[in-house]
Amino acid sequence: MRIKSALAAAAILTLTAACGGGGGESPSSSGGPVKIDFLSLAWQKDSVAANKQLVEEWNKANPNIQVTYVQGSWDNVNDQLVTQFAGGTAPDVIHNDSPALSGFASDGYLLDLKDRLPAELKNDIPQAAWDTTTFDDGKGGQGVYGVPFLQESQVIIANKKLLDESGVRVPTPDDPWTWDEFSAAAKKMTTQRVVPGSGDGEDAMGQGYGVAWPMKSPVNKTLNLALNFGGTFFQTSGGKTTVKVGPEEREVLQRIHDQLHKDKSADPAALGQGTADPLPAFYQGKFALLPAGVYLRQQVVEQAPDGFEWVTLPAPKGTSAQQGAVSQTLSIAQESEHPEEAMKFIAFFLNGANQAKLAKGDWLLPTSKTAAADPAMTTKENGWDVATASAKNLVVAPFLKVNGFDEWKSKVATPVLQEYFANKITLDEAAKRLVEDGNEVLERYQR
Amino acid sequence: MTATVTRPAPPRKPRPARRGISRETRELWVLMLPAMVPVLLFSVGPLLYGIGLAFTDARNTRVHETEFVGLENFTRLLGDEDFWASFQIGAIWSVSVTVLQFLAALGLALLLNEKLRFSGLARVLSVVPWAMPPVVIGLMWKLVYHPDAGVLNGLLGTDINWLADFSLALPAIIVVGIWAGMPQTTVVLLAGLQNVPKELYEAGAMDGAGTWRRFWNITLPQLRPVIVAITSLDFVWNINQFGLVYVLTQGGPGGRTRLPMLFAYEEAFRYRMAGYASMLGLAMAIVVLAVLGLYLWRQMREAK
Repeated sequence: MRIKSALAAAAILTLTAACGGGGGESPSSSGGPVKIDFLSLAWQKDSVAANKQLVEEWNKANPNIQVTYVQGSWDNVNDQLVTQFAGGTAPDVIHNDSPALSGFASDGYLLDLKDRLPAELKNDIPQAAWDTTTFDDGKGGQGVYGVPFLQESQVIIANKKLLDESGVRVPTPDDPWTWDEFSAAAKKMTTQRVVPGSGDGEDAMGQGYGVAWPMKSPVNKTLNLALNFGGTFFQTSGGKTTVKVGPEEREVLQRIHDQLHKDKSADPAALGQGTADPLPAFYQGKFALLPAGVYLRQQVVEQAPDGFEWVTLPAPKGTSAQQGAVSQTLSIAQESEHPEEAMKFIAFFLNGANQAKLAKGDWLLPTSKTAAADPAMTTKENGWDVATASAKNLVVAPFLKVNGFDEWKSKVATPVLQEYFANKITLDEAAKRLVEDGNEVLERYQR
Repeated sequence: MTATVTRPAPPRKPRPARRGISRETRELWVLMLPAMVPVLLFSVGPLLYGIGLAFTDARNTRVHETEFVGLENFTRLLGDEDFWASFQIGAIWSVSVTVLQFLAALGLALLLNEKLRFSGLARVLSVVPWAMPPVVIGLMWKLVYHPDAGVLNGLLGTDINWLADFSLALPAIIVVGIWAGMPQTTVVLLAGLQNVPKELYEAGAMDGAGTWRRFWNITLPQLRPVIVAITSLDFVWNINQFGLVYVLTQGGPGGRTRLPMLFAYEEAFRYRMAGYASMLGLAMAIVVLAVLGLYLWRQMREAK
C-alpha cells in the first residue's frame, strides 16, 4: 500500500531532517550560537551564488546567530513543507511564493509577522507588495505571513531582426501594444522565411510564426494576463468564493486561442512546451515574439548564439495594463524556536542593497524601493529598463487569496486550459467546466 | 532487549500440555520476536494507523481537530469522478503493462533458453534494467521522449511531445513500464523453462508434435505455476507503481496518467487531505486483494 510507504518516507525524512538540524536545536541560553535553517529555492547559478554569499556575510558579522543554507527546489517544495511541518522539522526561514502561503497560513504553520517587522523593512516595500502576503489569520483578523522580495511580471521577448523587418511600431513601457496591435503584429511576422537548420540541418525556407505560447503550465500565465481586461476568475460574496468566467475573463483566453487557431500566427509546436523549452526555436527565428516572465531573459542572455539580437517589450494592454503579481517570499515557521533571530536575518537578507543583488541573480524585479532605484535595475542593457518599468502595473492577483486555488489549478484549470488551447473543447465548454468543477473543488475548503 | 528475551526461561515444573500453549510453541514465539518487532513497528503499525486515518477527516494542518467521520470518506470516494477516472487509468495501466510485459518476457525467455552464441552475455544484459532504480529509469526515458533532443523523435523524424500529448502520454509510459518490469519476469520465466524436464520434449518429438504444439502442450502447462506467481506479483507491483510515473509525467497532461497512487499522493501532500488519501490507499489495497484473491482461488481450484 502506497500510503504506508509514504508514511515510511515521511518518517525517514523526519529522521534525516532531525539529524541534520539536530545540533541546531540547542537553546541560546546554553552559550552556543543560535542556529537557524534557511531553506532557499534559488536555482539559477547567479542566484544561488548571491544567496550563499549573503548567508556567509551574515554568518561572519553575527557569530551568535549562525544560518545554515539548505537547498530546496521549486518542483517539490510544497510537498516537502507539508511533510516537514507535520513532522515538526520545518526550517526556520522558508523561501516560497505567495500563492503557496495562503494555504500554509490558514493551516497555522506560518508565523504572523505583522508585529515583528522592523520599520525600515516595512517602509522599503510598498503596500501593494505586502498585500500579496496578507491573508486571513483564521481568527477574523489579517496577518502578514511572509516578506515579499522578488516579483515576476510578464514581458515579450522579441527577435530584433524580425521585429524591425516587419515594420510594426515598437512598443514602449509608456505606450505598449494593445492586444489588437499585438495580434496584428504577430500576424505580420507570420511569414515563409529562411529558418536555419529547418531542413535536415540545412537552412531552408520554412513556415515562420509571429508568436509562441508555451502552455504546459497555462494557469498562472493566463490568469495574470486576464487582469488586462479586468478578468479576476474568482468572486467572493457572503464569505463564499466561487469561480466566475464572464466576458472579462474570456477576452484573453479567446485572443490567445485566436492566435493559435484562427490567425495561425502562433507556433503550434510550442503549445505543449514549458516556458523555456521553445528557446532553441526562438534563436533560429522560427517565431519572433515570446511572451514570458522577466526571468527568462537570463536564459536568453546565457544561451543565445553569438550575433542574436533581441529586445524586451512590455506586455500588451487591454482595458488596462494591469497584471497579477505573485511574489517570492521569506516566511518564518510557527514552530521555529528562534523567531526573533530569524526576523533579524530576514531584515538583513532583504535590505535594499541585498535585494538588488538577489534580483540581479534571479533576473526578477525587487520589491524594495531602494533596490528598484539601483542603476543596475534601470539600465537599458538586457531589457532591465522595460522589466523594471512593468513593475508599476503589478496588482495583487485575486487568486492569491483563494483557499483551494492550488487544487483548482491542478485538477480543473490546467487540464481545461490545455484542452482549450489545443482546440479540443470550445470556450463555452471550458468556461462551464472551470466554473462547475471549480466550485465543487472550492466547496471542500469552505466547510 | 533481545538478550533478555531470549534467555532461557527459569526451570519450572513441567505442565501438562492440555493446560495451554506447549513449550515448543512458546519458544517458537520467543525466537520469532526479534524478527517480528520491526515488522510490527514499521509495517503493521503504520498500516493500522493508515486504516484508522481513513475513517477520520484528518488533514495535514496545525489548526484542525481530527474527528471520526465513519464512512464519509468512502461515500465521497464513490461519487468522486476524479477518482474513477484515475482508477480507470490505473486499470488500463496495470493490465496492459502486466500482459504485454508477460508476453515480451516470455518471448525473451524462450530465446535466451536456446543454445545460442553469447547467450550468457545476453542473459546478463537482459537483467540490466533491473539494476536501475525507477527514478533513474524515469529520467532516462524522459530523455528518450524529449520533444527536441529526444532519441525517439530523432529516429522517427517526428516532432511529437510524447509525454505532453493527451492521447500519447499513457501509451508512452506503458512502454516504459513494460521495459522496466521485463527483467524480473524474464528471469523467473527462464528459471521455470529450465525446470521443464527434457524427456517431455523428447517424448513429444517422438509422437510427432511440431514446435508450436510442443510449446502449447508442454511448455505452457509446465510453466503454469510460475506464470501465475509472476503475473500476480507483476500486477500488484504495477498497480502500485509510483516513482516511475511521478518522474515521467507527475500525472499529467491534464491527469491523463494520474495513476491511483499518484492521486492519493496528491490528496495527501498537495491538498493535505490525509483522511481521504488514506481511504484511497485502503480502497486500492482492497481492490488488489480482491483481484488477486479471485485469481489465486481459481488457480488453486483448477490445480485440484
